[in-house]
Amino acid sequence: MNDLKRSLSKKFLTIIPIILAAALFVFSLTIGRYPIGSYDVLRVLISPFFPSLSMDIPDVAKQLILRVRLPRILGALLVGASMGGTGTALQAIFKNPLVDSNILGVTSGAGFGAAIALLLQSSPWQVQLSAFIFGLTAVLLAFLGSRLYKSTPLLVLTLMGILVGSLFSSLTSLLKYIADPLDTLPAITFWLLGSLTSLTWSNLIILSGMTLLGTFFLWLIRWRLNVLSLGDDEAKTLGINPIQMKLWIIVVTTLMTASAVSVSGVIGWVGLVIPHAGRLLVGPDHKYLMPASIGLGAVFLILIDDIARTLLPGEIPLGVLTGLIGVPLLMVLLRRNRPGW
Amino acid sequence: MQLEANHISYGYSPKETVLHDVSLSLKTGETLYILGRNGSGKTTLLSCLAGLLEPDMGEIVLDRKPLGEIRPVERSQLIGLIPQSHIPAFAYSVEEMVMMGRAPYLSWLGSPTKEDQIIVAEALEQVGLSDFRERPYTQISGGERQLVLIARGLAQKCQILLMDEPTAHLDLSNQHRILEIVQQLSQQGLSFIISTHAPNDALSYADKVLLLTGGWVTKYGPPKETLTEALLSSVYGIRTEVIYQNDSGKPIPRAVVPRRPEVISPESLDKPGSLLSDVFIRSKEQPQLIIVTGLSGAGKTTWCSRLIKTARSQDLVVRGILSPGIYKGGKKIGIAVEDLDTGDKRKLANLREKGETDLTTPRWSFNLQAIKWANHILGTIQESDLVVIDELGPLEFIRNKGLTEGLALIDEKRFRVASVVVRSSLLPTVLQRWPNALVVSGRVD
Repeated sequence: MNDLKRSLSKKFLTIIPIILAAALFVFSLTIGRYPIGSYDVLRVLISPFFPSLSMDIPDVAKQLILRVRLPRILGALLVGASMGGTGTALQAIFKNPLVDSNILGVTSGAGFGAAIALLLQSSPWQVQLSAFIFGLTAVLLAFLGSRLYKSTPLLVLTLMGILVGSLFSSLTSLLKYIADPLDTLPAITFWLLGSLTSLTWSNLIILSGMTLLGTFFLWLIRWRLNVLSLGDDEAKTLGINPIQMKLWIIVVTTLMTASAVSVSGVIGWVGLVIPHAGRLLVGPDHKYLMPASIGLGAVFLILIDDIARTLLPGEIPLGVLTGLIGVPLLMVLLRRNRPGW
Repeated sequence: MQLEANHISYGYSPKETVLHDVSLSLKTGETLYILGRNGSGKTTLLSCLAGLLEPDMGEIVLDRKPLGEIRPVERSQLIGLIPQSHIPAFAYSVEEMVMMGRAPYLSWLGSPTKEDQIIVAEALEQVGLSDFRERPYTQISGGERQLVLIARGLAQKCQILLMDEPTAHLDLSNQHRILEIVQQLSQQGLSFIISTHAPNDALSYADKVLLLTGGWVTKYGPPKETLTEALLSSVYGIRTEVIYQNDSGKPIPRAVVPRRPEVISPESLDKPGSLLSDVFIRSKEQPQLIIVTGLSGAGKTTWCSRLIKTARSQDLVVRGILSPGIYKGGKKIGIAVEDLDTGDKRKLANLREKGETDLTTPRWSFNLQAIKWANHILGTIQESDLVVIDELGPLEFIRNKGLTEGLALIDEKRFRVASVVVRSSLLPTVLQRWPNALVVSGRVD
């Protein structure tokens, strides 16, 4: 009986972030410099199906919700969920609670890709594509680099990720140095600070596809992450092929991260902090931790984005806020969660 | 169920082979112990048997099927490996840790079910850890962690469990607890292969013992044939003693203990019944070797010269060489060598200066002519009651240079009683070569 209660409460705790994310999603649509009531928001959301319900709502409000706020908040939800999920999976396979999505240099690569596209005055769509492709390129380079060595591939892969990441950061700095200080330099700088301001429905196509498929994959294999986190030899004696499994996870998380970063710009700390918060909530078992982290990631980023667009008259860059909120949060979590991770 | 390893060899790199021609077999319910010094290849052998490493030569066969041809998932349903306990990065609960033993039975994308939970609860029950299920694995004691890993092995429901030093770092009570659980499980039909540093565990619990030395099998068989004083001395490079218990008139080996160097006065040769005089009596039947050991400066040479004096006073014929130090102002600046037959002396070694030849140690540089002379003395010993060789060192045992005639003389047993001086650090090497020697502490009071 006790068992049932315990696993029920864990399941309940796991669902909380997901419910919270849904509630926050609707709430976020109401806030902004043009406040709209939550009843009106709900009516507008179903207006494409029942136009008669929202006849009395001004067209501005409708447009604001459907064309500006909805894609932006959906983007925040997807990026947050993606980062929470990938951070959790990567921490498990690298057996290290200090790892996040940028471990293999995706973010730095994507940053360079965006910078080069912005320097060439490309369209937003091209910037996103360039960021995505260079994000993948960085991981591919790290992976090929690690193939030069025979032993301890994961450790070498980590090292290569750091090396490739710094290489791309340096290249990005070079681009900033030669960029026009009045025009392209601010654009590059703002992109690197992270923002969801320019999100439209067309940006969301790759992101939503990758995030939905990726999180579904991570959700399916979530229990196996426990076994992988014990190390290769133990995983092998338990009948799991760790090399193949890790390769799959790296491919999936890289695609997810590259697609997220390519729309949001560089947003740090989420992939690192969220798994710790998840462990505090449901414990280290990835069966529960994975869905909890995905939910918490979504909640966290929607919240951060709400603050970013409402706190000051102008926008606050997301990367700045995640750092300002994420770092103290991580300190508190590490203190609370001290014995073991 | 039958597991067989046929002449397997394994090396982590082509140059360095860790296992050489190892064969063993294991039937249902048997317990096989692997004993050997650190680095003798125990863990590598277990890794091969678990399928983590593929032998370079030979094959491992499980029920007539080569291990390499069994799919990893099936293999992990048959053979489990219980590693030395370590602390994982995340604080899984005891129950979650044991649950991982169910991985071989879950599909690629599956999560544990109610049925798995029952199996885990039973496994925890069997090792007596039911009350620990919610405790973090990272915060329980080492003994409890080892029990959790055993429970995980049980949840894995395999037929053979391989255990890598299950009792290492555990207190006496936890060691006993684990060994008893293993024993009871083996009576239920589970087979075990256990690597250990505790010969006593093997004495009490093993059906078979495999002794490994540097990756080679020293001996393989039932404990009675393998856990003998001579074999254990050779495997571990220390003198050991097997202590028997005489219940109902039948001697049963109960314990293996290391034997410390004997502290004997060289003058006790005079006293009938003393250890030293017994050695001389036994030498009438077969040659007796005495190893005089101690740190440098302990008095090994002095011990020998007193033995020589006592022997000569009994009209025994003493041959061989003695190498006393040459001192100047309280510092040892050289080594002399003395022919015990004629009393002639030569300078054997000087403090080493720059450069290196074949005959240098970190401290001394040896004189080739003196070595040749000493070798000639040792090579031409005819009739003697006592041969003294002072001393055989790294030059001889490791590089096979220097007083090679001394090595040959002992190897070929051309003596009645020999007293050989060896420094402490070389004792394991020496005892692996001459396991039956009497080890004497070369300390003078």
